[in-house]
Amino acid sequence: MENSNNFKTRLKIAKDKLKKHSNYQYNNENGTFMGSAFKLGTELVSAVAVGTIIGFILDSWFDTKPWLMIFFFFLGSAAGILNVIKVAKSMQEKD
Amino acid sequence: MATNPMHQFQVHRIGPEIKIVGIDLSFTNASLFMLISAVAICGVLFLGTKEKKIIPDKFQLISELFYNFIAKMINDTAGSKAKPYFPFIFSLFMFVLFCNMLGMLPYSFTVTSHIIVTLIMAIFIFIAVTVIGFLKHGFGYLKLFVPSGVPIILLPLITVIEIISYLSRPVSLSVRLFANMMAGHTMLKVFGGFVISLGMLGGWLPLGFSVALTGLEILVAFLQAYVFAILTCIYLNDALNLQH
Repeated sequence: MENSNNFKTRLKIAKDKLKKHSNYQYNNENGTFMGSAFKLGTELVSAVAVGTIIGFILDSWFDTKPWLMIFFFFLGSAAGILNVIKVAKSMQEKD
Repeated sequence: MATNPMHQFQVHRIGPEIKIVGIDLSFTNASLFMLISAVAICGVLFLGTKEKKIIPDKFQLISELFYNFIAKMINDTAGSKAKPYFPFIFSLFMFVLFCNMLGMLPYSFTVTSHIIVTLIMAIFIFIAVTVIGFLKHGFGYLKLFVPSGVPIILLPLITVIEIISYLSRPVSLSVRLFANMMAGHTMLKVFGGFVISLGMLGGWLPLGFSVALTGLEILVAFLQAYVFAILTCIYLNDALNLQH
């Protein structure tokens, strides 16, 4: 009986240790600044690119070169900034 | 030719040329390294799960580590509803990780440094997430594009912006992985070329840089696989638990 109690307490201590350690590791991985900086950059650029491409395709459909492309370039820029705000918000929640 | 830093990204055919209905389906070095990483993943996981010891050996330890890591990540970012998608995200993470890490070996080929590979994976994820969203919520999934609390006059503009933002997901997902891998490998090769051209006198500085960059690249290889998987989880979270 004494033996099993002894084992239980030892198991509990070991599990607590593991928990602390894994929490620490997880936080460490989120705090890599280069990764987050690169993430923000690609979010911004890709939305601008997608917006411009959509405008270009619509232009060739409706034969309105280059007005829709210019319009969608600005919409894409807005979408890029929206993306960056979303990512930055989720980053702040994590910390 | 060997000093050209872009030479390492060339895809060339191995073995005979196979053409089916005008499409080139020959076996290339890219397919070889995809096959090697798939076999390596299966090997590691098979060895790790063969016998369940109380005190795990190295292979068991590493497979349990991967399992716990991905299970925790899915639980934290997408909630318990995303449990059924564990196999998909696990295989995705392992494939990207092994491709990146195998690319770090000298004379090997980095599959993920080609945008076609990463873009196909990202488009597949994008289509899958969209289909899951429509299956779970029906046309209510379109609410994702209409944020609450926006004045009626601005609504058409905001909706178009949200749709562009949604469509830019696969692009940013694939470009991030591809650009990181290609930039890193090009940089390593350029510094390696400096070592040769500066010789015994001045070659030591770029050699030190190369060593430091190799360490950084191994970090980036892991980090990009992690980011790829975690972003898939975030997109899945949007599709499963509609919040906007």
